[in-house]
Amino acid sequence: MKLTIRTSRRRLRAVTGVAAVVLGSLLVVSPVASAAPSVGAVCDTDPNQTFSLTAGDGYVSTPDGNSIYMWSYANSKRGFQLPGPTLCVTSNQLVTIVLHNTLPEATSIVFPGQKGVKADGNPAQPQFDTGGSLTSLVQSAAATTGSVTYTFTAGSPGTYLYESGTDVDKQVQMGMYGALIVRPAGHPDQVNDRADSAFNVSDPLSPKEYVFLLSEVDPDVHLAVERGLPIDWSAYTARYFMINGRSMPDTLAPNNASWLPAQPYSAFVHIKPYDAVTNPRPATIRYLNAGTVNYPFHPHGSDERVINRDGHALQGPTGQDLSYQKYDLDVGPGQTLDVLMDWRDVEHWDALTNPLPTQIPSINDQLLVGTDTWFSESGYLGSSNPLPPTITSNNQCGEYYHIAHSHALEQATNYGATFGGMMTVFRIDPPAGCPAQ
Amino acid sequence: MTGFAPRHGLSRRSLFVGGGGLVAGTLIGSNLLLGSAAAAPLAAPAVAHPRKELHLVGTDGWVGMPDNAPADPPFFPDSLAPSPFNTYVFGFRDVTGLSAAEVAAQRGKAQISAPMMAFDEEDDIFLTLTNLGLLQRPDLFDGHTLHWHGFVNAIPLFDGVPELSLAVPVGRDLTYFYRPHDAGTYMYHCHFEDVEHVQMGMTGMVFVRPKQNRTPIGSDPVGTKYAYNDGDGSTRYDREFAFMITELWSAAHYRDAHIQVNDWTDFDPSFWLLNGRAYPDTVAANGNPLSTAAGRLQYQPISSLINCNSGDRVLLRLSNLGYQNHSMTVDNIDLQIVAKDASLLKGRDGTTNYITTNTVDVGPGESRDVIFVAPSTPGTYLLYDRKYSYLENGGGTGYGGMMTEIRVGAAGTYPTQTVANT
Repeated sequence: MKLTIRTSRRRLRAVTGVAAVVLGSLLVVSPVASAAPSVGAVCDTDPNQTFSLTAGDGYVSTPDGNSIYMWSYANSKRGFQLPGPTLCVTSNQLVTIVLHNTLPEATSIVFPGQKGVKADGNPAQPQFDTGGSLTSLVQSAAATTGSVTYTFTAGSPGTYLYESGTDVDKQVQMGMYGALIVRPAGHPDQVNDRADSAFNVSDPLSPKEYVFLLSEVDPDVHLAVERGLPIDWSAYTARYFMINGRSMPDTLAPNNASWLPAQPYSAFVHIKPYDAVTNPRPATIRYLNAGTVNYPFHPHGSDERVINRDGHALQGPTGQDLSYQKYDLDVGPGQTLDVLMDWRDVEHWDALTNPLPTQIPSINDQLLVGTDTWFSESGYLGSSNPLPPTITSNNQCGEYYHIAHSHALEQATNYGATFGGMMTVFRIDPPAGCPAQ
Repeated sequence: MTGFAPRHGLSRRSLFVGGGGLVAGTLIGSNLLLGSAAAAPLAAPAVAHPRKELHLVGTDGWVGMPDNAPADPPFFPDSLAPSPFNTYVFGFRDVTGLSAAEVAAQRGKAQISAPMMAFDEEDDIFLTLTNLGLLQRPDLFDGHTLHWHGFVNAIPLFDGVPELSLAVPVGRDLTYFYRPHDAGTYMYHCHFEDVEHVQMGMTGMVFVRPKQNRTPIGSDPVGTKYAYNDGDGSTRYDREFAFMITELWSAAHYRDAHIQVNDWTDFDPSFWLLNGRAYPDTVAANGNPLSTAAGRLQYQPISSLINCNSGDRVLLRLSNLGYQNHSMTVDNIDLQIVAKDASLLKGRDGTTNYITTNTVDVGPGESRDVIFVAPSTPGTYLLYDRKYSYLENGGGTGYGGMMTEIRVGAAGTYPTQTVANT
């Protein structure tokens, strides 16, 4: 343990406390966002699959109190947000995206994985200046006031990035990326066209669908852009690591949390144990890497089955299942992975009928880290025991919490402070739910 | 190689050899999502759960990176290091069977990589972790935990994440319980301030042997070893070698010893290790941390040398608890990846999807099970990280880092293997 880390951990703990309070009211959603689930994927949809996006700037906050200047895409009817809106469309249907540029330089959108993309009616193509030098991966919208309209027929069901195709190292680092979810026609409850890709939508207020859009920030680059100074790419070092534009513990806050006005997307996962009768379907998590290095993402407590890669089902020529289980999803730059996950209570520990074969040490012989804890002080799902009065409990009804984080562990920090960064928490409620809610 | 001393009449060896004598277990609940390829009945008869007891301690200590690595003042060699060592670490030690006084005497004598553990499916594992504190840093009150990485269906109490369960304070202990149901190659590490404790050396291999070892496939004789419950014998092997892949950042280790702080986002490793050693140390023999015979390598007891006979099927268990991707390569021998992250590469419908290659990418937190057939030509072959810049020791010249040798002898050169990494 280090002195400076202790200092920043105190700050982190303060934020954690706020997040924890919010966890206690996950189902209390602000009126503004009443259509959105409190956690899980939030889709922008449109009956004509037509979206208007504005490229602009704004600020995001990090758990250590920093404020970072960002560029990103916003729904033109709403304010700045990071990442760009999650666009949900149906496979094989036309998608129209109108990009309005308010940035001081030209910008654009590329749709990796989509085919036949058109820009203002012309085939989307790399752009060259009169000297033959590449200026943009695709037709762009001019600085400050320009616009461009992209159209394509949504491809194979799955998850895709959309991101800037102009000045890409700078603009994508600045935050110009978002997720595009393509749903199979007629099967919005499936990841792809295979029946074995179905996920849990039994509660329409809380479908078990999660987007983990992974990225990183070097604050020096952002400061240089904000001040109009040159960027020293040779000194590039990422300090913040994000899921959906947030770092742990902000990742736990609900969608549209009022104190994260430009970071609307939660990364908190909230499920119940698998049950063949009452909870047979898994959750789905859609991983996207908007960075330039691998993000090896490790969920605790459960494997995840990779069923899609880059928007294509993992299957053989005649439908053979080539999906596979992983305890670490090593998502490469620009890659997407769609997984199915659940958590299984295999041992069914029960204090009366199937007690744990070891004892929890007395509270004085344990180390509970920090001023608050998620631990129920019990090994049994749905049961909890008292904590010392100096420690605040974030636990409501004996539910379990597992973390999930990048295992390139410097990415699981906020500027080096441990237990932050690219990390979130999976909450597993008792089978009957949590009475406190 | 560190094994576990006996309790309750179990031989140390029994933990490393597929435990015989058990009636065949039955696969537990299989289904579309998480089940193995083979369909299995839901109602299983009572399964025996042999009891295995182990005792680990967490503490700090000193190890030796290769002596000829160039100095990197003030970080390497560390001026506080007692001879013949040069690098400060945190680590685990296996103290199973030692007296209380002997256990306490291991304070400040951590090893890297951590003791290698092997179990059978359905073992009941009682693993007691004692926190001996940090001899070099008595100012710190760091807890330790044990996170069995990749263990599905874990409950938080035994998952070792201090923020979500509990940690073991200095001078206390906690008994973790595991009952592995799924064969494969896993890893374990301390999760207390993980970015620090993992880098400092609290990382080790753990693997689980399949039930199929008790009921060999087809005409395979009793005693045949498999990596997984493959149903077809395709993961049969004669010899196994496990590799904990990590990097070591000398500056961070120095700062921990010298009461300074690290910004972990500056991560910039100096040494690339297999089982806690850099080549050519990787090919030195297995040692015993209770003996000074190995000198500088006393607290790096795990060898990575691969000895095998022509025609042997050799299983490589590769787990990465570093923070970088690694691309493990063998020239002149095909490698077959049969599993990733302790899951056999077979689809839910049983479709086999093994990968034949000569490079095996292993990302941070991932594992791979790789089988090769030792070539008919005796000789030395190399297993190394194709990221050539990782084949150096502290920026020095010559070959070092994440490399070891595969020494193939004529049939009959090496006797039947009974313990991994021998």
